[in-house]
Amino acid sequence: MSAGYKAVSWTRSKILYDVVLIAGIVAYITIFFRFGALPGPDGLSPDAPTLAMKAFGSCGFLLLTIVLAIGPLARLDRRFLPLLYNRRHFGVITCAIAASHASAALGWYFAFSDLPPLKALFAADTSFGQVSGFPFVILGVAAFLILLVMAATSHDFWLTFLGAPTWKSIHMAVYGAYALVVGHLALGALQDARSWVLPAVCAVSVVTLILLHLAAALSQNATDACIATASSPPWVVAGKLSAFAEGRAIVVHLADAEPVAIFRHDNMLSAVTNVCAHQNGPLGEGCVIDGLITCPWHGFQYRLADGCAPPPFTERIATYRLALDGDTVLLDPQPNPPGTYVEPIRVGSPVA
Amino acid sequence: MTFADLVYWCGLVYGGLGLGVAAAFLVFGLDRVDRSARGSFAFRPLLVPGLVLLWPVVIANWRRLLLRGT
Repeated sequence: MSAGYKAVSWTRSKILYDVVLIAGIVAYITIFFRFGALPGPDGLSPDAPTLAMKAFGSCGFLLLTIVLAIGPLARLDRRFLPLLYNRRHFGVITCAIAASHASAALGWYFAFSDLPPLKALFAADTSFGQVSGFPFVILGVAAFLILLVMAATSHDFWLTFLGAPTWKSIHMAVYGAYALVVGHLALGALQDARSWVLPAVCAVSVVTLILLHLAAALSQNATDACIATASSPPWVVAGKLSAFAEGRAIVVHLADAEPVAIFRHDNMLSAVTNVCAHQNGPLGEGCVIDGLITCPWHGFQYRLADGCAPPPFTERIATYRLALDGDTVLLDPQPNPPGTYVEPIRVGSPVA
Repeated sequence: MTFADLVYWCGLVYGGLGLGVAAAFLVFGLDRVDRSARGSFAFRPLLVPGLVLLWPVVIANWRRLLLRGT
């Protein structure tokens, strides 16, 4: 958070996340080397540098697929939310694996070249006009550069320095990187694939990602049905009280304004903007932990009543006024200045 | 000059300039444009790759923030 750029405090869950991630990668590479070295239909076994190149390349592709699947999965099922919290580490490690693949490829293909490897890389093939022999390496280089920029700008400093919209735009380029990686595979490794495994893994990964994003979008559309309807000014109807579950939020979409997250905690209702001050994360998809709204993306926290991060942190988000009309929850769509205290509305006995 | 020569030398020049901008920004700019950085030093090496890759953006933002008096 914003109380100076101090080393991150390693909680048990963060350590566990990274240990599982690294152990999974080590296991994958080990298994790949064990079974990938077996002779193929032609009786030939791939050499160690080729195996390394393929192991790191396929590992990077699968990691990138998983990292892109985490977002829609968490939207579809809250049990996947913990995977979102450390996604930054996931992305940086994916970039490191891609760098290992690039290093193995450079070492293998250009070890005996007269030219420096990086120059030989761009001189090797320039048949841009045909599928067979297309310089697919350039697609991989472009994808790697995108991953590199994303990893290099993953520190919170960059979010402050570039501003949230620019930072977010840069990091949305991961979808472009994925498309480039798929092109890199389709025009490269898949052109001379000698078994069905790699084409099948690629096809299943791409189709799964597309389906997950479509399902998450449809789910979001269902949520968007919760659009505020007009009441007597300035109030708009946010929904029926029975729709607000304890410890969770309902996101209310307003015309021409940021969505509002209305939380029910300890049988009291509080409303804040749905946009986290850190990276514009969807606060309404998070939950209340230790009495604090907790962003599902990186765990930034805010007090329910005034939208202030607990000391020593300094982030503040806008709050909103609420009212009850029978069992209907009303919202004043005019946001209060960030950090403004608004008395929560009690709607039942305190939860034991 | 071939396509490979062009990419190679452009990359080298870009990276070299980026290193210069990164060094200047870390020494003279960071503390002036981001209050949270004051007194924190361990994280600064982590910024170098981004500063080298995005140095034109860094110069533009550095100038903008200085003019704004942040």
